[in-house]
Amino acid sequence: MSAPRKAAGVLPAAIAVFRRELLAEWRTRVAVNSLFLFAFAVLVLVAYAVGPTRLSPEDRPTVNAVLLWIVLFFSAMTGLSRTFVHEEDAGTAAALRLSAPPSGVLLGKLLANMALLGAVTAFIVPLFVVLMGFEIRDPPLFVLLLLLGTFGLASASTFTAALVSKASAKGALFAVLAIPLLLPPLVGAVLATRVAATEADFSAGIDFARLLVAYDGVVTTAAFMLFDAVWRE
Amino acid sequence: MRLVAENLSRSFGRRAFGPVSFSVETGRVLGVAGENGSGKTTLLKTLAGLIRPSGGRARIFFEGEDAGDGCEPRDVPWHIGWVAPDLALYGELTAEENLTFFERVRGLVPTPGRARALLESVGLPPDSHSKKPLSSLSTGQRQRVKLAFATLHEPDLLFLDEPGANLDEAGRSIVQRVVAEQRLRGIAVIASNDPRDLALADERVTLS
Repeated sequence: MSAPRKAAGVLPAAIAVFRRELLAEWRTRVAVNSLFLFAFAVLVLVAYAVGPTRLSPEDRPTVNAVLLWIVLFFSAMTGLSRTFVHEEDAGTAAALRLSAPPSGVLLGKLLANMALLGAVTAFIVPLFVVLMGFEIRDPPLFVLLLLLGTFGLASASTFTAALVSKASAKGALFAVLAIPLLLPPLVGAVLATRVAATEADFSAGIDFARLLVAYDGVVTTAAFMLFDAVWRE
Repeated sequence: MRLVAENLSRSFGRRAFGPVSFSVETGRVLGVAGENGSGKTTLLKTLAGLIRPSGGRARIFFEGEDAGDGCEPRDVPWHIGWVAPDLALYGELTAEENLTFFERVRGLVPTPGRARALLESVGLPPDSHSKKPLSSLSTGQRQRVKLAFATLHEPDLLFLDEPGANLDEAGRSIVQRVVAEQRLRGIAVIASNDPRDLALADERVTLS
């Protein structure tokens, strides 16, 4: 065997980390269970307590948009912090630090968290739309917002999880750091979802979509620039 | 190749070890001895680049390169192999899946059967592990998997922290073989309290 005398490539390492994360998740189902159970429980609770009939037609778009993003936000908070925290708690972080380029680790874990949150979103949104009678006037805008919003949630949650992974009070610190980081895109996503529910004109919500693209770009770029120091220190 | 420590020390509020200075050449094995709590593991982690020193520095000088300033271990992790009691591999994967995963993230071209052959070389035939997650193997078997992990990429520098821990006599002979192979490839550093581990070393640093 000829051993490499240079750093491994970012992309092969990211693909390997992504595959391992999904395989481990498939076998243990820890994050999947917490994400899906939380999202489903909150959805059922909201559907029973609020339901489509207890909202006036003029309030329905705003309240439904807020409730939908609350479900997605807290699902992300519940399940996505595990990705780095578990590496430190289980003692596998040192092996990964010595083996994989930091950017490959971050990219692989970000892709895995996006896949998890994407699966939850794909499961919960149709249920939410049906149970809450959430009428969407502009489905393409709605889908675009979901994609951008969940990407932002996954990206910010993944990086925050890396930041808190070595701290002693990880859970509390994760919430303290993640909430201010995630509030701006959540506000944008809620407002844009309301627009998608009330306007059939794609251009009416395009500014919000641009805002989310800018947020996702800034957070993801900052995460990749800072991760090396966070991961190796 | 040469591993050099110059007044290397680390403290976490209070001194963990050092300052220590030494130089080890290719083909040599350095033993790190000392009582419990004397900082052996911290020294090895510092040499491997897993933590930063508080004072002094560790440098690796490679053959054929400008000997000027060498490089920091943390900048060349692909040259380093690591085994330690607090190192864990992925418990939900099998031993072979673990090695294949680390092959991929290290940028090694995956060769069918290489991981299995390496596991056999540390005394783990396929029927002992192939269908079991790593977490269900015994502590001694997991220690053997760690030895396979550390040598998977044929590192120039191999750090062994308590390598004989939890191993039976057959396992200890595997440690001896791993150290002997490492002599041909580069440098090994062994931290241990066990005289049998330290007997493999050519020179010794004792921490107090």
